[in-house]
Amino acid sequence: MPALFEIQEPGEARSKEACTTGAVGIDLGTTNSLVAIVLGDGKPHALAVDEGSTLLPSVVHYGSQGGPGSVVVGRAARRLAAEFPRDTIVSVKRFMGRSSADPETLRLSPYKFAEGASGVVRFAVAEGRTVNPVEVSAEILRALRFRAEERLGIPVKQAVITVPAYFDDAQRQATKEAGRLAGLEVLRLLNEPTAAALAYGLDKRSQGMFAVYDLGGGTFDISILKLVEGVFEVKAVGGDSALGGDDFDRALAEIILGSQERSPRRVREAIDAAKAAKEDLTKAESTEVWGRKITRAQLEQAIRPLIEKTGGSSRRALRDAGVPDGKGLDGVILVGGSTRVPAVRAYVKQLFGMEPLADIDPDEVVALGAAVQADLLTSESPQHDVLLLDVTPLSLGLETMGGLVEKLLLRNTTIPARATQEFTTFADGQTGMDIHVLQGERELVQDCRSLAKFTLSGIPPLPPGLARVAVTFQVDADGILSVTAREQLTGVSQTITVKPSHGLTDEEIERMLLSSIEHAEEDVQARLLIDNRVEAQRILKAAERQLESNGDLLSAEERGQIEAQMATLTRAAQESDHHSIKDEIDKLDYLSADFAKRVMDRGIERALKGHSVAEFDQGEMSAHAKKAYEALEK
Amino acid sequence: MLDKFALLGVPQGFDEPQGLDEKYRALARQWHPDRFARAKPPERRKALEQTMLLNDAYKTLKDPVRRAEHLLELRGVKGDPKMSPEFLEETMEDRERLLEAKMSGSGVEDLARGVREKRDQTLAQVRELVARGAELSEAAELLARMRYYARYLDEVEGRPAEI
Repeated sequence: MPALFEIQEPGEARSKEACTTGAVGIDLGTTNSLVAIVLGDGKPHALAVDEGSTLLPSVVHYGSQGGPGSVVVGRAARRLAAEFPRDTIVSVKRFMGRSSADPETLRLSPYKFAEGASGVVRFAVAEGRTVNPVEVSAEILRALRFRAEERLGIPVKQAVITVPAYFDDAQRQATKEAGRLAGLEVLRLLNEPTAAALAYGLDKRSQGMFAVYDLGGGTFDISILKLVEGVFEVKAVGGDSALGGDDFDRALAEIILGSQERSPRRVREAIDAAKAAKEDLTKAESTEVWGRKITRAQLEQAIRPLIEKTGGSSRRALRDAGVPDGKGLDGVILVGGSTRVPAVRAYVKQLFGMEPLADIDPDEVVALGAAVQADLLTSESPQHDVLLLDVTPLSLGLETMGGLVEKLLLRNTTIPARATQEFTTFADGQTGMDIHVLQGERELVQDCRSLAKFTLSGIPPLPPGLARVAVTFQVDADGILSVTAREQLTGVSQTITVKPSHGLTDEEIERMLLSSIEHAEEDVQARLLIDNRVEAQRILKAAERQLESNGDLLSAEERGQIEAQMATLTRAAQESDHHSIKDEIDKLDYLSADFAKRVMDRGIERALKGHSVAEFDQGEMSAHAKKAYEALEK
Repeated sequence: MLDKFALLGVPQGFDEPQGLDEKYRALARQWHPDRFARAKPPERRKALEQTMLLNDAYKTLKDPVRRAEHLLELRGVKGDPKMSPEFLEETMEDRERLLEAKMSGSGVEDLARGVREKRDQTLAQVRELVARGAELSEAAELLARMRYYARYLDEVEGRPAEI
């Protein structure tokens, strides 16, 4: 009997012996997340982690679908998004390190927010639970980890996790925290475009100056790198940490919704429909949404202002890197699913004056590069002798008199880096000094992002200008800042790793860590149980629907067999043995394979008679049936 | 005083030392924290420390003004000399013009070009003084001017993206 659910990729079984360290590369994306690892062949491979696909949708559902208090991740969660818009968190990356007051959180968002202790975003989800973005991201990372362990047959404890190059300190801290919560040692936070360049550079053995244009689901990054003799030197980065394909979807969803009422469910459905339409329109000139024709020209008109927003930061990065207008550039690399949109490709070509490269799957390239870096950091004899030299994306500074920002480390400074500056007291007998740490390019405090505030006390009372305080900024290889203030006369000093003002409080982090340790008990077994229950419910619903609409294709005996198996599966799903649920799913699969084929045939027949194939391509059963169909064809 | 030329293994001089990039890459390969990811904490700290020094030294030596400043520092010339009132007046005018240009959103690049020219002229003067083996204290005011120019240019270059 063909295994319909576990289609093993050739070569993956080998990995059990081949890879020794179990250090993976993870692309924690806005829309999809991936995990990859360097295997014995010396090459990075993305692992199939969600229904045979390497892409795990970054969707987390909280609710009763898999039992009380359960969490569902990936495609299974995405299917629940329209029905439970408030309990299903989509694109959580956009909320990482953000305050609930940020305008970003208020746009077309179906969620219900709860106020956190430190102004951090908290989602109110099913069963009275509240979760913050770090916890939601940790669920995605945990799912990747468990599923990678399952595929590889070895424990996965270490990871290189990628972040947009333009992520600020708060967003980086939040990502690292999520990794820790998921039980991973985060070897390194790696900038996404740098990871992509790593995957490309190794592949092509290139030398020269390259631009990486990375437009993902929620973030835009531009990086200019110089590749010389295995050293990847980032010259400049830029971007927008809130611009991506999601915005394309929302722009199109606005058109689709028009003047219709906007319930959370309707909005979620419109966004999903827009996403599907956008994907259709990469190939087709027009498509149909909710009985209405949408053309590629309409889409392009809606998203043009968004695409053009990438031009400003691209030009600035080119100038910063000393290749203004792209003269002297040897190539442009496309990364991120949104670079599949034809209008984006055309814009990039025009912006840089050359045809961009997209030979490596833009969805996988970042995870592949991260896997290479994980291998570099953990192997006795790494497969590649390369070195990455990355930079700070944004300038770091301090508040001085009059609300001005004094910059200590300018943007695009190679990391790790350190800078020290002396400040003096300005009041007579002043014994304390407020240190306000800021990130950004603007000159006024109010225009920069506040990272931390602390007070250095114990300064000896002296006339103004005599006490001197040296403030040192240190940025480590992950791009995370720590600040030390030291009074020069007495040596009084204070060091803090910057805890972002909009981030989580220590208490919140502690609570999250404690609960994650408690949940360590809820191991792989429990997770499999939840996954299988959700899968069972999905299949049962689909089977019901198909029996209703295509039941005439079955003899009474066949129908009886299927219905009996459905009843058995329903019972199994109420028990807590995940093996038995899986077995019953497989049996139902086997019994309905022929039915699925007939449904498919009918679909094709109708399509030939002028009905749209899409009618048959959308149902849950038909996706399932397609698999069955393919398996039968072999 | 840390000799950044020595750290990178290049001779002291006004012009960019030959082979600076290659030296930097070789040392970065040797010291970068990635190379010590599996080492013990003291070794990792040392690698981090060395790499921070190396990155800073490379940044100094790549930039003509910072490099000149450092060279004079190494020869015992200290900053903070008395500036001539004429120069101070000139700097205030430059700043006003920069502010106006920023407000109006145009002409910033032209101003930067002007200041870059002045900086280059000053740099040439300092170079000559040093080559002549003249009193290095004479170069002190020029050094301070370069600091001002560098700061001005940093500010211009650190401006937010033009959309």
